Amino acid sequence: MQQRKSVTQEYTNSVLLNGTLETPKWWPYLVSILLFFVLVGIGLFFVQIYFGLGVTGLSRPVYWGLYITTFVFWVGISHAGIMISAILRLTQAEWRRPVTRAAEILTIFSLLTALVFPLIHAGRTWRIIYWLLPYDFSRGIWPNIRSPLFMDPIAIGTYLTGSTLFLFIALIPDLAVLRDRTTGLRKGFYTILAMGWRGNPRQWKMQVVGGILLSALMLPIFVSVHSIVSWDFAVTIGVEGWHSTIFAPYFVIGAVHSGVSAVVTMMALMRWGWKWNDFIRPEHFDALARLLTVVATAWLGFTFLELIFALYGLDAPEIALREMQIFQYPWNMLFLLFLLTGYIIPVPMWLFKRVRTNIALMFWSSIMVNIGMWLERFLIIVPGLARKTPFVFTWEAYSPSWFEWYILFWSFCWVTLLMLLFSKVFPLVPLFEQKESEVFSDSVKIGRANVPTIFREEEE
Amino acid sequence: MTNQEKHFWPPSDPSVVRTELINNTKKGGSTLRTIVVSLILLSILIIVGIIGKVIIDGNDQTQWGYVAAILAFILSATGGAPMVAIAPLIAKASWARPISRIAHIIGSVSIVNVIIMIPILRMLPPLIVDGTRRRSIWFEAPNYSPHFWDTLGLIMLAITGIALLYSSSIPDFAVMRDSSDGIRKKIGKILSRGFVGTTVQWSKLRMRIGILSTLYFFVLVFVHFIISTDLSMSMVPGWRDAIYPMYHTMSGIQGGVASVIILCWIVRKYGKNQNYITINQFWALGRIMFATSLMWIYFFYSAFIVFWYGRSESDAAWLDLLIRGPMMYVFIIAMLFSFVIPWWWLIWNRVRNSFNGPFIGAIIVLIGLLLDRIRLYVPSWSVDPKLIHDKWLTEIPKILYPDIWDIMIFIGSISLVFLIIIGLSRILPLIGVWEIHQLNLLSKPGKFMKAHGIRVAKPD
Repeated sequence: MQQRKSVTQEYTNSVLLNGTLETPKWWPYLVSILLFFVLVGIGLFFVQIYFGLGVTGLSRPVYWGLYITTFVFWVGISHAGIMISAILRLTQAEWRRPVTRAAEILTIFSLLTALVFPLIHAGRTWRIIYWLLPYDFSRGIWPNIRSPLFMDPIAIGTYLTGSTLFLFIALIPDLAVLRDRTTGLRKGFYTILAMGWRGNPRQWKMQVVGGILLSALMLPIFVSVHSIVSWDFAVTIGVEGWHSTIFAPYFVIGAVHSGVSAVVTMMALMRWGWKWNDFIRPEHFDALARLLTVVATAWLGFTFLELIFALYGLDAPEIALREMQIFQYPWNMLFLLFLLTGYIIPVPMWLFKRVRTNIALMFWSSIMVNIGMWLERFLIIVPGLARKTPFVFTWEAYSPSWFEWYILFWSFCWVTLLMLLFSKVFPLVPLFEQKESEVFSDSVKIGRANVPTIFREEEE
Repeated sequence: MTNQEKHFWPPSDPSVVRTELINNTKKGGSTLRTIVVSLILLSILIIVGIIGKVIIDGNDQTQWGYVAAILAFILSATGGAPMVAIAPLIAKASWARPISRIAHIIGSVSIVNVIIMIPILRMLPPLIVDGTRRRSIWFEAPNYSPHFWDTLGLIMLAITGIALLYSSSIPDFAVMRDSSDGIRKKIGKILSRGFVGTTVQWSKLRMRIGILSTLYFFVLVFVHFIISTDLSMSMVPGWRDAIYPMYHTMSGIQGGVASVIILCWIVRKYGKNQNYITINQFWALGRIMFATSLMWIYFFYSAFIVFWYGRSESDAAWLDLLIRGPMMYVFIIAMLFSFVIPWWWLIWNRVRNSFNGPFIGAIIVLIGLLLDRIRLYVPSWSVDPKLIHDKWLTEIPKILYPDIWDIMIFIGSISLVFLIIIGLSRILPLIGVWEIHQLNLLSKPGKFMKAHGIRVAKPD
């Protein structure tokens, strides 16, 4: 924490609320552009409903393509929130403070986006209801509650509810600050949400206890969500490359890798956009990059295990699939790109402190990771279905249509738009965390070095 | 009693710390001598057991499951221990400093694994059996690759563990050189290698410990990977479980944490080190063991759900062999002791925040670990070697009970582990003198308003 600059509470309020109480010049332009792209995407969705799934590249035998890949990708990004916020809160990592809010809202918006994709993928969206709800009691037709496809929405719904609650609990002290600094309708809005927060010791205690309890409760949900998504594939024995026991932790660690990288991207944008240089400092990028190095290396280990145990069985179809994935065009190019962007380029970069504290390099390397992680999901889902097998007479490789590519692009615009709209109503960096950090921080002279310290309360 | 009074803290005077901890290496009366003599006699059983086993069952591979299970147990219970020192080192956490020497010492007993590996080498089938290559992680590698790499891996782990212990002990050897006499002074003089504590020497030492810690972690993962696959999975036709090596590693780390807790409890209670090993260490270790218990069930369930759902012949055979077949009761008890009881026990903060709570939990975990290794290794070795090329297991072997030689090897190896630890405690202080100095420099108990806590310094 060497770059810490001591700031007053007034300064913290004025700077961190500049996105909420004022409007940066670029904000309306960016929101308008994003809104345009989002509306076009929604229009295209209705076009797809009208013409059917024929507008996509999905066809026999590849029924799960870019939409499902993107669904898994956004569920993965949603793991940022709990990883950063809950785990780092429980482990009392001091550097988490300016990062938590961004991570939590990224969780919520990416989950909302992920939920949209199965609806888009279904073609006739309303038919989703057949899988989830008992729609015809008289004929005794029930959804298969043992299916991960059924468990998916329940897990994601629980995660979304929990994450929203988690975000709200952490927002309350900041809402009170906003309540005291606004007038008119906005004041009324914040007054309701602040729920009478005055910052007395009892309220603080309840808020801290609530945060810790929710952190502990959210952890199993966080793990279960992506595990269940992975079981959508892993419990299927008919598709080579899917029936693997490692999928659950492999998906979770991959999700953490991509989610934390997305937080880095977002932090860089927040620092540049709102000029929060005193609060989002290079040391935070340094800590995130260290965390990412560990996570990425663990993820690479799981990738290695996944690959080696696919070959271990010496089953001819499985070997053929891996040959196709790694050596046949175009999969080989995608595989190479996935490895390069997911690990080989960014992780060696992060070994150097100069890179870890360079915000532009961290921004680009984090984007690179997410390109790699999206490709990873694509390479897990599609080749297994696309491989030539007996009795499947359509042997064309799957090629996503421009429609699908646009919907992928739409999802990024949609999440960014939601974030920007959120920033206009709520602070993106938690004010109370900053102030708490300021109070607990100090420094001590050890030898000739002035070392920063932090106060940690002990268990009674 | 205030929190500060409840939570002991090491003496702040370096000379007192030095005298107390160095003098501990000289302590030991007739009781210790009796224990050492008993352990020496019991350790001989390992040799007697191995010789007896070779003579009686030297031609029957199916009888060696318990020996493999003992190897896996000792590897798991000791190999993961240094992670207790390594992980906080990476996270710059000071709480582990008083116990890192204990963790390193436990990690350095891996030589016992090498001894047990010698007879297993003779019984382990080569890669080509009856002219056909069997399934293994070695694919087309030379015929005796598992024999070579498994032994090399265990030797590497032993060497790395000893190197890590030695490197982290150099400053204490220097202290012994300067403040002891007789044989200890001579040992200190030789092993401290001219360490006088210059800035360069400290910098090099920190770097060396960091490199060795990282290396140790990777070697540990590698050894668990090859031992788990070569000595159990590849002995069973059709068993293909990508998560299994990670499950093995994770349960090994859980066992390592448990061993550290047990030794800390003994050293604190019988070595009169109440001021050095405090509630902070037990509380933190209890939390880690709780987390690893959760990881145990997660990794186990990730495999179980895929096999249970898959229902293919090989999936069903896995369940029959390891879960619901002859090993069902061992599995149930192992699960109770490795997950259910530790989870329900350590979930309570009052239990974690005590000296006896984590100690009892650790004993339970180690019993669970032993049974788990028996569940995994004994049925794997009991499979008829003629079936090794089958697609999946069609004949589930009957339960095999340990014979007298197995019991002798078990008692002998455990005794040897304790003997080595006691031997090392006569040369080195079990609590690092320099680690306590650093702890005193970097963290101080203090008060913040009404709260008691610790002010922690984290230098770059």
